[in-house]
Amino acid sequence: MKKRALITGITGQDGSYLAELLLEKNYEVHGMVRRSSTTTATQRIDHLLDARLDEASRPVLHHGDLADASGLRRIVETVQPHEVYNLGAQSHVQVSFEQPEYTADVTGLGVLRLLEAIRGLSDRTGEKIRFYQASSSEMFGAAKPPQSINTPFHPRSPYAVAKTQAFWHTVNHRESYGMFNCNGLLFNHEGPRRGETFVTRKITRAVGRIKMGLQDKLHLGNLDALRDWGHARDYVEAMWLMLQQETPGDYVVATGEAHSVREFADIAFSSVQLDYNDFVVVDPRFFRPAEVDYLLGDIAHTKEHLKWQPRTSFADLVREMVEHDLELAQREKDFPYKS
Amino acid sequence: MPTALIFGITGQDGAYLARLLLDKNYRVFGVHRAGDCDAANLHSIGAESVQLLPFDFVGGSVEEILGLAAPDEVYNLAAQSSVAASFKVPVETGQVNGLFVARLLQALREVKPDARFFQASSAEIFGAQSGVLSEESALRPCNPYGCAKAYAHSMTTVYREAFGLHAGNGILFNHESPLRAAHFVTRKITLAVAKIKHGQQRELRLGNLEVERDWGFAGDYVQAMWLMLQQAQPADYIIATGKVRRLRDWVDCAFTSAGLDSREFVTVDPAFVRPTDAGTVSADVSKATSQLDWRAQVQFEALLAMMVEADLRRVAAGEI
Repeated sequence: MKKRALITGITGQDGSYLAELLLEKNYEVHGMVRRSSTTTATQRIDHLLDARLDEASRPVLHHGDLADASGLRRIVETVQPHEVYNLGAQSHVQVSFEQPEYTADVTGLGVLRLLEAIRGLSDRTGEKIRFYQASSSEMFGAAKPPQSINTPFHPRSPYAVAKTQAFWHTVNHRESYGMFNCNGLLFNHEGPRRGETFVTRKITRAVGRIKMGLQDKLHLGNLDALRDWGHARDYVEAMWLMLQQETPGDYVVATGEAHSVREFADIAFSSVQLDYNDFVVVDPRFFRPAEVDYLLGDIAHTKEHLKWQPRTSFADLVREMVEHDLELAQREKDFPYKS
Repeated sequence: MPTALIFGITGQDGAYLARLLLDKNYRVFGVHRAGDCDAANLHSIGAESVQLLPFDFVGGSVEEILGLAAPDEVYNLAAQSSVAASFKVPVETGQVNGLFVARLLQALREVKPDARFFQASSAEIFGAQSGVLSEESALRPCNPYGCAKAYAHSMTTVYREAFGLHAGNGILFNHESPLRAAHFVTRKITLAVAKIKHGQQRELRLGNLEVERDWGFAGDYVQAMWLMLQQAQPADYIIATGKVRRLRDWVDCAFTSAGLDSREFVTVDPAFVRPTDAGTVSADVSKATSQLDWRAQVQFEALLAMMVEADLRRVAAGEI
């Protein structure tokens, strides 16, 4: 029998990579999507939904929302998943300062609604359902690097506080009810599918457009912020591995290497023979109210237990994103009205 | 005349704090859930002159309340306050104890950033850790109530660090009084003692008697809340007695003080044992002692005697 997986946030960067991975592994993949008035909401998974593909190999989409408890119960009851991956969230730190309440409701309480729905199904059927929660390195915030699974959290944004709350709910449901729940504490993970308001993608998009003469300047915030950047495609594999272990646990997923935003910009611009100093403008609007200076993951425990390690180097990650965005900018230049 | 705004006015702490502030000549506004205003605590403590404001904690406008009251000090004591109930209603607990605080902080930031803010945090944010707990200890909540309180605690810290609000968490360990609601185990016990003494009850069913807690008097703790908002710099403080006792001691002491033997009446009932329970902790109260010059005045035995006496009187008078 095919395993069934339910992914919330399937339309996001991680959701799309995870859906691909699970389809390759012959899962029946179900995804939750929010109703949207635009048709671009599913663009990251449109290639998987192509009507020419065999129906059984396409993900099944369900309308739902992490703020809607009865809807979540209905989806969980309908799908009867073996594995649930909760990747849905209001995932933007800067936006969370503008919408703390919404962020709390979706990113924080959403996991609780989902866990309660899963617990309800498990209680009735007696089947253990494996659950993955997308936790975040932002939870470490101001904690001293390197950060491991034993580092106490010091969240510095409404997003980070909400993710921390979700982490604890995931742990507590494991300890209180014996659920198979795992947290992946993912450090920054990027790729060509990253949303364009995130700093890495914002940089590579700008590099492409500047190179094509479509843009002059790039406005950024704190260039000295240090982050541990990996490729999202590598990280979804760690998510899956966590749910294949005999016992549930929490894991840091990172590369173990930190680079500054400045370095990212430098490599990105250099790869198209430009100097970032000529284009980057430091703009206070993009500084956070409370900065997170230095995130660096300690993955010794993860390597040992999951036998996982990142495959994509920092330089390769930047280059892949720049190449992708050069093509995008080329198309924009060739068909200016269409895009 | 300074103005204070208290969210969660109808509870035990709301009543004691209102009384304290009225005695200090504050103008006091008290916010309660609309359609659910039990002013009994306020009456029993002589704090009737609080101006009550009904409020929708899920969708109401905090900005409007702040505009109306124009407070110098804001105290958030509102909560779904039962740990046991939080396992049954985890999302509701998250909304009232956690998410509401996000709305409150955002509203303060936008319309009243100069007001000082007290958040009623809880020892439950530390969960099942053992050892000595201080303001620097890592948060590790172990139930939905603790998670929601930890969320509110961290959000208060974020708004202090990010926006410079005068906002602080009082990490309150268990605090009791004759006004404690009857579903809390301490009050459940003193009430049972009074009823047994008067022949109205024959048995008392309890959960794990070996749990240890740091129990203080609510009247002392509201004093610490007020002191926190009088400091030049906002900060978090542990508010506790620093002494740990077993629930069994509470039971024995309560029965003894009424001339009864607990062994004749108490039954341990697994139904009251929680899926997970907080561990053995002791509170490091040195920060509150040195910086606020605050210490708990009423000790364990005196607190118990106060509560048993109050319940004996209420039962005798037919009030309960």
